[in-house]
Amino acid sequence: MSVDKLNNIRELKHWHGDLNVEKYVFTVGEAGEAFFNGLKEGKIIVSKCSKCGTMYLPPRGFCEKCFSEIKEFVEIPSKGYVHTYTIQRKDKNGKSLEKPIAWALIKFPNVEGGLIHKLGEVNLEKLEIGLEVEPVFKPKEERRGHMSDILYFKPLK
Amino acid sequence: MNDDLKLPGTPLKKKDFKEGKVITVEDKIDAEYDWSVGPAMARFLEELKKGKIIGRKCPKCGKVYVPPRMFCPECFTPTTKWVYVKDTGTVNTAVVSYISADRGHLGEPVVIGVIHLDGASPMMGFVHKIKGVSPEDVKNMKVFGLRVKAVWKPENERTGSITDIMYFEPIGEEKE
Repeated sequence: MSVDKLNNIRELKHWHGDLNVEKYVFTVGEAGEAFFNGLKEGKIIVSKCSKCGTMYLPPRGFCEKCFSEIKEFVEIPSKGYVHTYTIQRKDKNGKSLEKPIAWALIKFPNVEGGLIHKLGEVNLEKLEIGLEVEPVFKPKEERRGHMSDILYFKPLK
Repeated sequence: MNDDLKLPGTPLKKKDFKEGKVITVEDKIDAEYDWSVGPAMARFLEELKKGKIIGRKCPKCGKVYVPPRMFCPECFTPTTKWVYVKDTGTVNTAVVSYISADRGHLGEPVVIGVIHLDGASPMMGFVHKIKGVSPEDVKNMKVFGLRVKAVWKPENERTGSITDIMYFEPIGEEKE
């Protein structure tokens, strides 16, 4: 195979491009509307299957156990617990973060699923699975029906 | 759209989105990339910066590939010689495009052609813009067989890119 040898690595040419992927917009669906409107009101909303009683978070339109359509959306007490967590120290481009961020999967009693969100007002050295947490919401006028309406979950006193 | 067809779900119109009637999630995927071009393309781009077009020749079948290839895709033999080709050529085919490379609408349509450069093997297409021809010339196929020459950026503006050639323009020779 005839290949040219390069003695100078700076001769290794590359092409920088951008695929220019379009912005996407998708609707959250009926269950999503219930959940995000709930966040606007400072509530955590789950969907409840009227046939088998299973509760899902985030809310689902169909029950994965009995395949019924779910039409009931209920508020649950917002006290949850850390099921698992990880600590992020770099951004997506590999640059170190000024302050590491703790991400957790927060579950709630008797509810399938959970929410992935940040943990705040915590000592990163003292994080534990099972830590009881509650959400800290943005001021009401700043909420817009988005996951960021919750700033983070903080440990219960 | 079949009006009798009843689909489950909630039908939405554009204004429902504008009026914020539904909650939406918007995002844009960052799709920048770096692609290492390899020795053939690296040389090709370097030569463009110098105002030249270079190809590569297969020792077995004699084909001259532009842009250059390190092996001949027709007989699988590694290519061996760098060969400069001229920046003049003949238009094989062309299209009129009303949209840009990133799907925007162009004010003025652009003509893109496949050019057989003098010195490259026949049917070795070199794709580039053609100026000085009208959309009509393309649609009535007058542009096929047109003799053209590359118009280059000034030397200090070239970066080692296909756009170091701005476009090709007709040179008024006749060729079969």
